[in-house]
Amino acid sequence: MKSKIGVYICHCGGNISDYVDVNKVREAVKDIEGVEISLDTMFACADSSQKQISDDISKKQLDGLVVASCSPKLHYPTFSAVAERGGLNKYNYVHANIREQVSWAHSDDKIGATEKAIKIVKAAIARVKESVSLKPIEVKAQKSIAVLGAGVAGMRAAKELADLGIQVYLIEREHFVGGRISQLDYLCGADETGKELVTHLYEKIHEHPNVTLFTGAEVIKKSGSIGNFKIQVKITPRFIKNECNRDELLKAIEVCPVEVDDDFNFNITKRKAIYRNYDSEYPQKPTIDNKNCTRCGECEKVCSSIDFSQKEEVLDLTVGSILAATGFDPYQPKEGEFGWGIGNVVTLPQFRRIINMCDDKLVYKGKEIKDIAYIYCVGSRQVDGNNKYCSRYCCTATLYTSILTHKKYKDIHSFHFNRGIRTYGKQEVIYDEASRLGDIFLQSYEYDPPEVTKLNGKTNVKIEDILTGGSEIDVDADLVVLVTGMEPRNDCSIGDVLKIPKGRDRFYNEIHMKLRPVETVIDGVTIAGACQGPKNIMESMNSALSAAAKSYSIVNKGELSLEPIIAKVDKETCVWCGKCAEACPFDAISMIKENGKDIAEINPSVCKGCGMCLPVCESNSIDMDGFTDIEIESMISVLAGS
Amino acid sequence: MAKINPKFTDELKKYGAFDTNACYNCGHCTAVCSLSTEDDSFPREMVRFSVLGLEENLKTSLKPWLCYYCGECSETCPRQAFPGELMMTLRRWLTAKYDWTKLSGLLYKSLPVSITFFLLVIAAVIGFGSYENFDTEKIMHLGHYFEMFSIAGVFAFILLPNIIRMWYFTIVKAGVKVKFVTYFKKIWELIVHMFTQKRALGCDDNQLRWFEHLILVIGYLSLLFTTVVLDWLGTESTFIIWLGYVESAVIFVVTFIFMYERVKKSKELARHAHPSDWFFVIWLFLMGLTAFIVRIFIDVDLIENNLWMYLIHLTVLVQWALIIVPFGKWTHFLYRSFAMYFDALKKVK
Repeated sequence: MKSKIGVYICHCGGNISDYVDVNKVREAVKDIEGVEISLDTMFACADSSQKQISDDISKKQLDGLVVASCSPKLHYPTFSAVAERGGLNKYNYVHANIREQVSWAHSDDKIGATEKAIKIVKAAIARVKESVSLKPIEVKAQKSIAVLGAGVAGMRAAKELADLGIQVYLIEREHFVGGRISQLDYLCGADETGKELVTHLYEKIHEHPNVTLFTGAEVIKKSGSIGNFKIQVKITPRFIKNECNRDELLKAIEVCPVEVDDDFNFNITKRKAIYRNYDSEYPQKPTIDNKNCTRCGECEKVCSSIDFSQKEEVLDLTVGSILAATGFDPYQPKEGEFGWGIGNVVTLPQFRRIINMCDDKLVYKGKEIKDIAYIYCVGSRQVDGNNKYCSRYCCTATLYTSILTHKKYKDIHSFHFNRGIRTYGKQEVIYDEASRLGDIFLQSYEYDPPEVTKLNGKTNVKIEDILTGGSEIDVDADLVVLVTGMEPRNDCSIGDVLKIPKGRDRFYNEIHMKLRPVETVIDGVTIAGACQGPKNIMESMNSALSAAAKSYSIVNKGELSLEPIIAKVDKETCVWCGKCAEACPFDAISMIKENGKDIAEINPSVCKGCGMCLPVCESNSIDMDGFTDIEIESMISVLAGS
Repeated sequence: MAKINPKFTDELKKYGAFDTNACYNCGHCTAVCSLSTEDDSFPREMVRFSVLGLEENLKTSLKPWLCYYCGECSETCPRQAFPGELMMTLRRWLTAKYDWTKLSGLLYKSLPVSITFFLLVIAAVIGFGSYENFDTEKIMHLGHYFEMFSIAGVFAFILLPNIIRMWYFTIVKAGVKVKFVTYFKKIWELIVHMFTQKRALGCDDNQLRWFEHLILVIGYLSLLFTTVVLDWLGTESTFIIWLGYVESAVIFVVTFIFMYERVKKSKELARHAHPSDWFFVIWLFLMGLTAFIVRIFIDVDLIENNLWMYLIHLTVLVQWALIIVPFGKWTHFLYRSFAMYFDALKKVK
């Protein structure tokens, strides 16, 4: 029970005192038991007033502080800092809002306003009497970070963290690194190919002593909390020995009788059950596709490096922070969507693979391609579908692709059926270049999309072109390219394991789009790259470096101090019904056995002090530091007038 | 439904178009154009039709003729797509499309063919001179006859059918229904525009150029009248002689100014001269100048011994009458005024 409380009532220049009789409020509270001093002040937030309050605290050894002023959103941090400067624990400070909640709200009733202000200040005094000093929770932080996804974002983040001296576990679900970028040949605005970029990054992390790369690996379980995550990583075998013979392996690929759709080439080609996607792919070892391998043994006959005895492993790792850079999937058009399924209609990612495979003649399904119709915003900016967002990268990628076709092949004509070209920023020059190469742009509104039909053996694209006064214009195309946008990974189980919340667009959500763009509400888990939303490579790199810096800041000191406003379980009365664990949105509550009894335990570094567990507890065994039942009840007593 | 023809711009480039593909449809050109109206909006629409290769839409349009090329659109274009020059190019292209003989297109597209035609005329005139034993009086007499017959012939066999074709494309094919009586009611439009080009005054700051053009047209038409009807080169009348001197001087002075502007590229419209533009001003200049000198030679009694001077004039005259008038830039004189006439017909409700 506090007995030397300082109460300061602010006039706010007149904002408060014009409607609330501040003197009357001070008079009403000055004789309350425990109130040492009660003063009114013109501006409590003024430097001089702050100085006076902190001096009062230290000189008069105050053990509680109430400032009745504006909204706590504005000045709670100010006065709790004043308390600390005076030597008072900041949790012994209670803020009373008599401006937004009183003077501004009741400017028509001065007497009533004053009465309400008195009650609010009295309630604050009642609460501060019961307040408890709290200390930040200190936890040890592991100086290691798990980076999920070895695409360009993940590899870049891993390299940066490793350079800073952090042990990095780079965990890739596929058997090869590079992600989506390795599927690209030339990149817009860079003199390198996607593969070169991947090789470049791989070389940086490969020899780095601080990076451990796991391929074919997936996080299947996460426990613990910021600074001390325990993760389980499942590693599927490659079925290739560590010391392997390259020539024999190439022969093994040749003899493998199993042919399946090659998803690296978006199913336009076939691959074997033992495969690698391209020559210079890393790690430089093929892998065996366990799902499709029939174990016929043909490969073993020609290759001594095959080892079918390899088993799935599960590793336990402890990390201080997790950086998720798990990427995206390209949108998969639905049957009939812009002619999908009628033959010579492909997606932009498929088309990029086709260009990669055709050297001096652009050929698809045995036919030479000259006239190409690109249809934009497929799976993005949908009117009816869920994908309301713009996928950002596609306008630039399409125009760049068109330029590539002009450079690589002769007599190409490109027709861009768009809804407004968005080659933002420096990418505008790409639009300019394509335009000057003679590309034709046709534009429609979202509710009047172009139509793709098969007419007399030709694929016809028709549009009501708003650039030609809404006239119906059409073209016969040899190939229709659907410019598909980005979607969240179809298999987003990793998000469920980590409990990263998703936005309405189903991508992982940051805390604040502008101010906290790489942090998630799961403390210690950061996100980077296209798993967060559509991004181009440059933007992915930006977010990767940003997330790396944020994750680094969590683990670099080796310890963390956390806000102490958290829930606490009364071990005596708790009988473990499990309702609190169900209510907890952060998985902070688990059951433990203590003295032969099942009780709830709250992980202090996971609990966010949201209070969801309190009302569901039937035995009322949970209390919250900083908002204890006694504090709240004492306020209610005062306000209810008892 | 209109089908895109991406190869059309390649064809158009042969008529003088530039980087039409640079257009990104901002519409600056149409916004600054002082002749463009809500009902007759250009040049953006014409640029768009050209980029898409919608030949039918272009062929049935009168808009290229409604532009009098002040050049402001080209100056304003943020993409240097030169819409003004495209309108000029479309006029050349339309001239070729209206011409049933297809010779216009051939001459516009190929400079060597044009030069060959000019050379053939030179050879023919020299051949004709030697056939007549370089008899001055006879040659000048026949030259006068040539003037009359060539005017009648070119009009009857080339220009008239081509105007009918223009009417067919822009009125019939365009689906415009015009009452028979309207053709008479609106005939005044044809005459006014033919002799005044008054629409050109709608271009910003264009009074001087309009005036230069006007006196050139009047000078040209009256010299034509003075030589063909009043027989300037054969007359004894002092008044007619002096009239002819003034008229021919007007022609070569004004065309000299025009040539000078094209060399200096001082105005937007003079920056991108096509060979056909050069032929037109040079030959008009030569017509005025050689006629002037021939008449001086006659007046100082030099012509008897200097037939070559008349033969030069005759060569220029024949080249003009058989190449430039029926198949070259001269036709814009007719098509422009008929376009205004047809446009007036279209606007009658």
